[in-house]
Amino acid sequence: MTLDELTLAAARRGDMRACERIYRKFHAQAFTVAVRICNSRELAQDVTQEAFISAFKRLKQYRGDSPFWGWLRRVVVNHAISALRKLPRHDAYELEDHMSPQQGDQTAMGNCMDLEQALVQLCDEDRMVVWLHDVEGYKHHEIAAMVGKTESYSKTRLNRARKKLRELISETDTLLPRKVGLNANA
Amino acid sequence: MRSENAMNANDQWKQNTSDPLGLGGLDIIEPDYDGWQQIESALVSHQKHRQWQRVGGWLAVAASLVLVLGISLRNTGNEPSMQLHGDGFATQSTETASLDVKDNINALIGLSQNMEEQVKKLRQKTGSMPAESAIYVAELEDLIAQVDHELSLEPNSVDLWGQRVNLMLDLAWLYQQQWQIDYGHMASL
Repeated sequence: MTLDELTLAAARRGDMRACERIYRKFHAQAFTVAVRICNSRELAQDVTQEAFISAFKRLKQYRGDSPFWGWLRRVVVNHAISALRKLPRHDAYELEDHMSPQQGDQTAMGNCMDLEQALVQLCDEDRMVVWLHDVEGYKHHEIAAMVGKTESYSKTRLNRARKKLRELISETDTLLPRKVGLNANA
Repeated sequence: MRSENAMNANDQWKQNTSDPLGLGGLDIIEPDYDGWQQIESALVSHQKHRQWQRVGGWLAVAASLVLVLGISLRNTGNEPSMQLHGDGFATQSTETASLDVKDNINALIGLSQNMEEQVKKLRQKTGSMPAESAIYVAELEDLIAQVDHELSLEPNSVDLWGQRVNLMLDLAWLYQQQWQIDYGHMASL
């Protein structure tokens, strides 16, 4: 997803319409990254808002030598990591209602939902690392720098997250026929 | 065909190693809110704040200029004492002094005009004032009117132009203080 130079130049000058165009274009993507890292729609909403405000204020710092989304995503990720750090520990493991497993939903949503459910069951750090590495394409050293840890921390978290996800998915796969069977009998 | 297959296999391998579980295939989560209004108001107040910071900076520059002019005027006032050293030198120093005074008057007139515009803008942007500030503004405006009257009789008076600039600075400062209070109220909403 690219951003045209005119919109970017206008936004840099403080043109609100241009800023709004940028917001509309990247809002869903930014929100998705924030939800995947924070595991909470409410927190992700705050993170996304703060990230956009911060990005627009610092727009002159974007030099244009890399895709705009890459720069904006970095701002969102930094805000999300910072928001996670501020959370009391117990909140981090709470599951969101819209993402928590519900009986019967799995058949309709298919494997994608299985993965979705498995993802929300990971602990914050594992989920963040696996998402940043596997989906957003960050390297271990970049993740390590963002969270203020070592590369081996990132590698360990990634392996653990992938292993856990595989286990969770295979558990779901073995449970699924039984649920379908029960529904069929009813 | 063969190379195409090889490329596909390579892409597939890359895909498998970088995202072996296919997390990238998960749907985008659509936000169920529109946060643009909040972002816009935050950005607008940020822009206003920066504008006023610039105005504040400008006022500081103007004040420094007045200070520099004041010091240079004081030094100019000391020049005629050099007349004691002889006729030729005395004439030269008086001419220099009168040139300096003229430059200073012109600089003060320019500064006064700039301040006038600045105060006009500040007045438009500032909301209603508390009674005490309004009285102070009225007093300053009266004093400026008085100085203007004196200047109409004595247009080349450096002192009077200096007074006018100082009064305008006071007025601008007052409006800026009021704006900062307004801004504080707005930011706390």
